[in-house]
Amino acid sequence: MKKKNLVKRIATLGLTLSLSAGLLAGCGNSTGAADKSSDATASNAGFRTLDEIKESGEINIGVFSDKAPFGYVDENGEYQGYDVYFGNKLGEDLGVKVNYVSTEAASRVEYLQTGKVDLILANFTVTDERAEQVDFALPYMNVALGVVSHEDNVITSLDQIGEDDQVIVISGTTAETYLTENKPEIKLQKFDTYAAAKSAFENGTGVAWANDNTEVIAFAKENPGYTVGIEELGEKDTIAPAVTKGNDTLKNWINEEIETLGQDKFFHKDYEATLTDTYGADYEDTLVVEGGKTE
Amino acid sequence: MPDLGLEVLFKGINMQRLLEGLWVSMRISLISVAISMVLGLLLGALMTRKNPVIKVLTRIYLEIVRVMPQMVLLFIAFFGATRVLGIDIDAEAASIFVFSFWGTAEMGDLVRSALISIPKHQYESGAALGLTERQVYYHIVIPQTVRRLIPNSINLITRMIKTTSLVMMIGVVEVLKVGQQIIEANRSSSPNAAFGIYLTVFVLYFIACWPISMLAKFLERKWN
Amino acid sequence: MQEYLPLFTKAMWLTLRIGWMGILLSIVIGLVTALIRHFNVPVLKQITGIYIELFRNTPLLVQLFFMYYGLPRLGVSISAEACGVLGLALLGGAYMAEVFRSGLESIEPIQSESALSLGMNHAQVMRHIILPQAVSTSVPAFIANIIFLLKETSVFSAISLMDLMFTAKDLIGLYYKTIESLTLLVIFYLIILLPVSIIGSIIERRMRYAGFGA
Repeated sequence: MKKKNLVKRIATLGLTLSLSAGLLAGCGNSTGAADKSSDATASNAGFRTLDEIKESGEINIGVFSDKAPFGYVDENGEYQGYDVYFGNKLGEDLGVKVNYVSTEAASRVEYLQTGKVDLILANFTVTDERAEQVDFALPYMNVALGVVSHEDNVITSLDQIGEDDQVIVISGTTAETYLTENKPEIKLQKFDTYAAAKSAFENGTGVAWANDNTEVIAFAKENPGYTVGIEELGEKDTIAPAVTKGNDTLKNWINEEIETLGQDKFFHKDYEATLTDTYGADYEDTLVVEGGKTE
Repeated sequence: MPDLGLEVLFKGINMQRLLEGLWVSMRISLISVAISMVLGLLLGALMTRKNPVIKVLTRIYLEIVRVMPQMVLLFIAFFGATRVLGIDIDAEAASIFVFSFWGTAEMGDLVRSALISIPKHQYESGAALGLTERQVYYHIVIPQTVRRLIPNSINLITRMIKTTSLVMMIGVVEVLKVGQQIIEANRSSSPNAAFGIYLTVFVLYFIACWPISMLAKFLERKWN
Repeated sequence: MQEYLPLFTKAMWLTLRIGWMGILLSIVIGLVTALIRHFNVPVLKQITGIYIELFRNTPLLVQLFFMYYGLPRLGVSISAEACGVLGLALLGGAYMAEVFRSGLESIEPIQSESALSLGMNHAQVMRHIILPQAVSTSVPAFIANIIFLLKETSVFSAISLMDLMFTAKDLIGLYYKTIESLTLLVIFYLIILLPVSIIGSIIERRMRYAGFGA
C-alpha cells in the first residue's frame, strides 16, 4: 500500500518537475523555440481534419463573447452577432453542432495552434504576421483601423495626441500592432478584453480608443457623446476565418462554402440580420465581402 | 436614488446565467479540493518519512507552490503544457489540474504539521497500554489529526473558490466573464450595468464563501 | 529572448512598486484594525468586523473590477495604479488584522496586569511587553501573508496595469512567443518572490529562538 502511494506521488512530482524542466529547456534552447516552423509543426498534432470534425458531430469555433454586434452573448445566454450568424450557417451546412468558445483577441492564434478550437471567427483581421502562424480562408468582411474620441475633444489626426495623453487599445489587435510599429511615441493603455476597454473608455480613461473601424463606429453610434474622428487609418484589410496552419481540408471546405454562399448574397443577409440595427444600411456595401471577392 | 444598473439582472435569464457562472467556479474548486484532500493526505504522510530524497523533492514542490502565483501556474498549464508536452487540455481541466497541484501542497503541509504536532509520548503511552500500532493510529493519532485538519481544509475551500475568479483569464466562462458579457450586451440600454453587475458578483462570492469560513471558525473554536 | 528583457524589467518594477506600497498600507490598516478589535472600541469594532469578513470572503479580482469599472459609473474615478494599491491594501489589511489580533490574543492578560502593577503605564506595557511578543508570535503568518499578497499582484493585469502577467500575455498576443514569455514570466516571479520566501524562512527560524518564553 505504502509503496503504491510513493509511486503515485513520485509520478505526480515527476510530471510537474518535467513540466518546469521542459519550460526551462525551452528557455535554454532559444533557437529551437524561436523557430516558428518547427513550433508550428510540433503543435499541429492538435488540429482536427474536416472528416474528424464531421465524425465527432461537433465543431469548436472561437468567437468573441463581448464584442457586440459581431460576437456577443444575449440575455438568454445565446451567442449572437455577425460572426456567429456565419458560424451557425457553417455548422448547419457541415451537419454538426456548433460549440462556441469565448476567446480574447490576444489568445486567438494560441487557441488555433494548440488545437483548442477548430476555427476562429472572432473578427480576425488578415495580416502577414498572422498568416505565418495560422491559415486564413477567404475573407468575409472589410476593415480598417479607426479612432474614436470624446465629442468635446475630437481626435482627427494622430498628431493631435499629446505626450501625456493615453490611447486605449486592446492587447493582440491590429490597432496595437499598428501603433506600436508606426507611432511608438504614443502612450498606449492596453486592455485584454473589449468589455474592459469600453468600460474604461466610458469612465474617462484615455483621450481616444483605436481599434477596427467597424468597432469604433458601432461604439460611437450606440453611445452618445463620442465621435469617430479618424475613420480610416493605415491600410485597408479584410477579416477572414482562420484555421490551424496546415488544416487544408477544413480551409478548402470553408472557401467553397464562402463562394457558394456568395451566390445567394449570404453575407448581405447576415449584415441585415445583425448589423443594420447598429450601422443602418449605409455601411452595407463597404463592410460586406461576398463570395470571398474584394474589389 | 442614482441608477445602480441593477435592472439588467432581471432581463431574460441574466440572473440565472450569473448563478450558473458561479456554479462553474464552485464546481472547479470542489473537485479540486476533493482531489487535494486525498493526495494531500498521502503527501503529508510521505513528508513525515525521514528519507532525504523525498525530503528534497517535497521541499522543491512546496516551494514552487509557495512562490508561484496561481495565475502563472494557470497560464503554464493552459498555454505552456500544450506547447511543451503536446497534451491539449481544456481550460476547465487545466484549472482543476492547477488548483489540485496547489491544494495538494497546502493540504500536504497541513497534514504534516498536524501529524508531527502529536507528541511522541502519546504513541508511547498508547503502546504501553497494550494498543497495537494500528490501534494507536486509529484511536489516538487520526482523531486528533482530523480535528486539526478539518477547519484548515474548510478554509482551503473558500480560498479555492476565491481563487477560481482567476480562471476567467484563461477563458473559462464563469461568473465574472458572464458578468462582462451582460455588461457588454446591454451597454447602450443600461450604461451603469458595470456597477450593478460587479456589485452583484461581489455579493455572490461573499454569499458563497462567508458561511463556509464561519463554519471553519466555529469548528476551530469548538475543537481547540 | 533578450529583446523582451527590458519590457519584463519594467513590468517587474511596476509589480514591486504597487505590491510593496499595497503591503505597507495593509500593515498599517491591519494594525489599526487589530488594535480597535483588541480594545473593543465600540462602533468601530463592528465596522471593522464587517470590513474583515467582506474582504476575506471575496476575491481581489472582483474587488478590483468593482473599484475600477463599477465605481466610476457613480462618479467615483480611481486610477488603475491607485486601484491596485488600494485593493491590495484593503485585502491585505483584512488578513493582517487577523494575524496581529491572534498575536495580541496570545499574550495572557496576567502579563499586562503584572506589568501595570509594577508601575508601567499602558503605553509602556504595549511597547515593552505586548508588542514584542505579539510580533514574534505573528511572524510566520505575517510572512505567509506578504508572500500571498505579492502573488495576488498577478491579477493587476485585469485592470490594465502593465505588470508581468500582462506583459507576458501581450507578447503572446503580439508576437506569438508563448514559450519565451512564459519562461520569462516564471523567472521574474522567482526573482521577486524567492528572496522574500528565503529571508522569511530565516527570520522565522531566528524568531523562534528569540521567542519570549516560547
